[in-house]
Amino acid sequence: MSKASVSLAQAGDPARRASMQLVVDGLGADASGEPARALSRFRRAVQIDAGNPYAQLALARHWIESGDPALSLAHLDHAELLFESEPAVHEGFEAHLLGLRGLALREIYPPDGGSALLEQARQASPRVWGDAWISAEELR
Amino acid sequence: MPRARKRSARGRKRPSKRRSNASGVLLHAAPWLRRLAAVVVAVSFALGFWVSAQLLSLDRSVRERFEGVQFRVPSRVYTAPEIVYPGLDWKRMDLRGTLQRLGYREAAQSKDLPPGQYVWNPRRLRVHLRAFEHPTRPEPARNVVMRLSGNRIQEIRRLPGGEPVGFAFLEPEPLGAYYGPAREQRELVELGELPPHVLDAVLAVEDQRFASHSGIDLRRIAGALLVNLRAGSIQQGGSTLTQQLVKNFFLTPERTWSRKLREAAMALIVEARYDKRQILESYLNEIYFGQRGATAIHGIGEASRLYFGKSAASLSVAEAGLLAAIIQSPNGISPFRDPTRAIRRRDLVLDLMLEQGRIDAARHAAARVEPLRLASVSRESNDDRYFLDLLERQLADAYPGEALSEEGLRIYSSLDRRLQRLAAEALRTGIERIEARVPALHGDAASPLQGCLLAIRPRTGELLALVGGRDYRSSQFDRCVQARRQTGSVFKPFVYIAALEPQSGKPFMTLASFLDDSPLELETPSGVWRPSNYDGNFHEAVSVREAMERSYNVATARLALDVGLDRVASVARRLGVESRLPEVPSLALGTAELSPLEVARAYATIANGGLRARVQSVEDVVDAQGRVLERRTLDFERVLDAGTAYLATNLLQGVAARGTAAGVRAGGLSGPVAAKTGTTDEERDLWFVGFTPDLVAVVWLGFDEPRPVGVPSSVGALPVWRHFIEAASGGVIRGAFPRPANVERVAIDPQSGALARSGCPESRDEYFLAGTLPTHVCPAGEVDTRPGVAERFMRWLRGRG
Repeated sequence: MSKASVSLAQAGDPARRASMQLVVDGLGADASGEPARALSRFRRAVQIDAGNPYAQLALARHWIESGDPALSLAHLDHAELLFESEPAVHEGFEAHLLGLRGLALREIYPPDGGSALLEQARQASPRVWGDAWISAEELR
Repeated sequence: MPRARKRSARGRKRPSKRRSNASGVLLHAAPWLRRLAAVVVAVSFALGFWVSAQLLSLDRSVRERFEGVQFRVPSRVYTAPEIVYPGLDWKRMDLRGTLQRLGYREAAQSKDLPPGQYVWNPRRLRVHLRAFEHPTRPEPARNVVMRLSGNRIQEIRRLPGGEPVGFAFLEPEPLGAYYGPAREQRELVELGELPPHVLDAVLAVEDQRFASHSGIDLRRIAGALLVNLRAGSIQQGGSTLTQQLVKNFFLTPERTWSRKLREAAMALIVEARYDKRQILESYLNEIYFGQRGATAIHGIGEASRLYFGKSAASLSVAEAGLLAAIIQSPNGISPFRDPTRAIRRRDLVLDLMLEQGRIDAARHAAARVEPLRLASVSRESNDDRYFLDLLERQLADAYPGEALSEEGLRIYSSLDRRLQRLAAEALRTGIERIEARVPALHGDAASPLQGCLLAIRPRTGELLALVGGRDYRSSQFDRCVQARRQTGSVFKPFVYIAALEPQSGKPFMTLASFLDDSPLELETPSGVWRPSNYDGNFHEAVSVREAMERSYNVATARLALDVGLDRVASVARRLGVESRLPEVPSLALGTAELSPLEVARAYATIANGGLRARVQSVEDVVDAQGRVLERRTLDFERVLDAGTAYLATNLLQGVAARGTAAGVRAGGLSGPVAAKTGTTDEERDLWFVGFTPDLVAVVWLGFDEPRPVGVPSSVGALPVWRHFIEAASGGVIRGAFPRPANVERVAIDPQSGALARSGCPESRDEYFLAGTLPTHVCPAGEVDTRPGVAERFMRWLRGRG
């Protein structure tokens, strides 16, 4: 688990902490090629904390990788809205929102859809978005 | 005679001396004897033919059963899994009750605690969680210890290492099953997964020479005969295990010679055609193990669950002995009914196992002193049947009736068992409370006051609880899903959303606008329509908030006419209403007939920031072989701008804070709540819809044949909702309704709706979509577009930084 995810998993109230653990666990499952297990973890994360924006972000990434960019956009809408009421937000989230939305649009309108958003994400977080993609491990 | 001899000589190339002699005898016999011989031959042929035909028929029956679908296994429905984590209120989630319903057994000591058992001390719960078998998301068995402090789980640690755990899953709880007409329940097992002592226990008592006989055990028959003759009555059966299987599969329990003969013949056929392992496996899956209510329990897998709350694979020697013991008379020797008798009989089986060398003396001794630890029997709740029926209707396209009752599917649902129980309780007590308040309602027992309550998780669309009536046993009609009733004022938010939603860049109104609540008369095809308010008054100009919070009919009707009924109907449809919406003026006041489920879906869309989620009651379906047949993903569509959804939510928060729904706080409920009451003409339908960031719940109360209930919604339906949400949340609702970036909060003058500046006598905060702020200010003047003092100060600070 990365330092950032550890600190996020430890933040917030008990439900949020457990929800974050599930998100981190799900990202681990996605990274090790267990999409069904990952999806189940993300759903459980929402089950115990429906207001967790990171769970929505993880779901959005999951659906891009699973080939359902439209569903990904819905989760990004959720995430964006939920981040509005977050007292403290992880520094990379804006770049990830932009990048994931860019990826979803590129899938829906290839080859250039979302390229402006991807470029913004790359500028905001070149380390993650330099290759115009975010792996489960990177989101972790 | 010469002719006969000639034909005979021609027909036989190498006649044997013996046959020649025999035919010679016949040829020289008297005619009557020859006729007799012919008759005997004919009868023998006929008999042989008949017996062959019978055997062929029996063989066909045997093959059809053994090589076709051998067992009809009802499909089971499971709840969503419970998750436990540090900080959770274990009392509120009913952890002990959940463990008991899942068949976990309380043990005396925690040393070598096997899966499915727990030890509960005041400050510590040690539990060995069972594995959850699922093809794509299995969970391993986990031995954990939870430190408890008051009602909270302080921490969870994995054993034996002691490392902290962030969460732990309890396996999904069985909710119910879809039975065929026979109402048989069984869980299939494979021989290879059973420990040898399970087979040994059954064979020791039911058929000790199973390995060596050919379907019939003559020694056993003779022994049973002797015992029965001595006793003067039938004390012992001589049937082998194969005969018992055949009897259960094909025959009736009648005691006749013909049935016995057929049983013996079929047993021989089964033994000739199939190997011993196949026969034993079929037997163990078929054998009857007693009743659970109206349901017949078949097979050792299901019996293990019923009696010990565990899989047959983990049965101890003593438990295997007990199950083998009750095969003879499952209901008579039931350990639930007569534990002493059951233990006596179990010990007899253990003795037989020792005598036959199936267990050694040490295991025998240990098993004999093992106390009887039965699983607590959880009855199927009738309240869950409405949900099961809904699922059955939803699954009908993909899985016809036989598939659900015979193919042993595992259906993992979205139902939250705790919320379901709370919903049923809230509805029941709510109805009883109204009946106590309005004694006249007691009059008609055949058509009593009814109601329904359902809850949805708005972020996912998952159906969490559904109680479609006050008592499933007396009425299976699901009022949450199948009923269509006038909605009254719960429809009004759709009118306000239509007016708040920007069209061509501009909304019809803002939350600072004023509405006209003066008398209205309209010519309609059915006469003059004159809407009135619940308080009997007209209020001239009222603010949007006041009109909604006080649920003013006239102001809302005027607004709907001004915005356009087509727009109002369009909003309702986009949000999730599917029923017909007649575009008549009274539409605004809820004369369209909708189901509570539709209303819940539409409000869930508002709660979800304008994203409409598909209502989902199933997560996935797995077949009997463990393959995933389908997995249902969450599905959303943006149907309303997030800003408008937020304004509507905020408006409804006002209704819950100051308006007709303010009673939701009467019990001290804290946290964000948005709600709306609805009462139709003559108080025939009482509605209450309320939502928190995590939950939308709809309550409807009324009679199936509409007639007055005698109380308004705020007195009838609201307390049901409050009772449910208070119990579900513990009185504190967490989270917030997130405000989207395109919604601004500014101070306004409540008297005029103008922007409030310093010097304005009154001000309150109000929310606006970006670009829709009022253009006039209080005190009167032009809008000052320069940033305020605080903002200028912040800019100055940032500039210095």
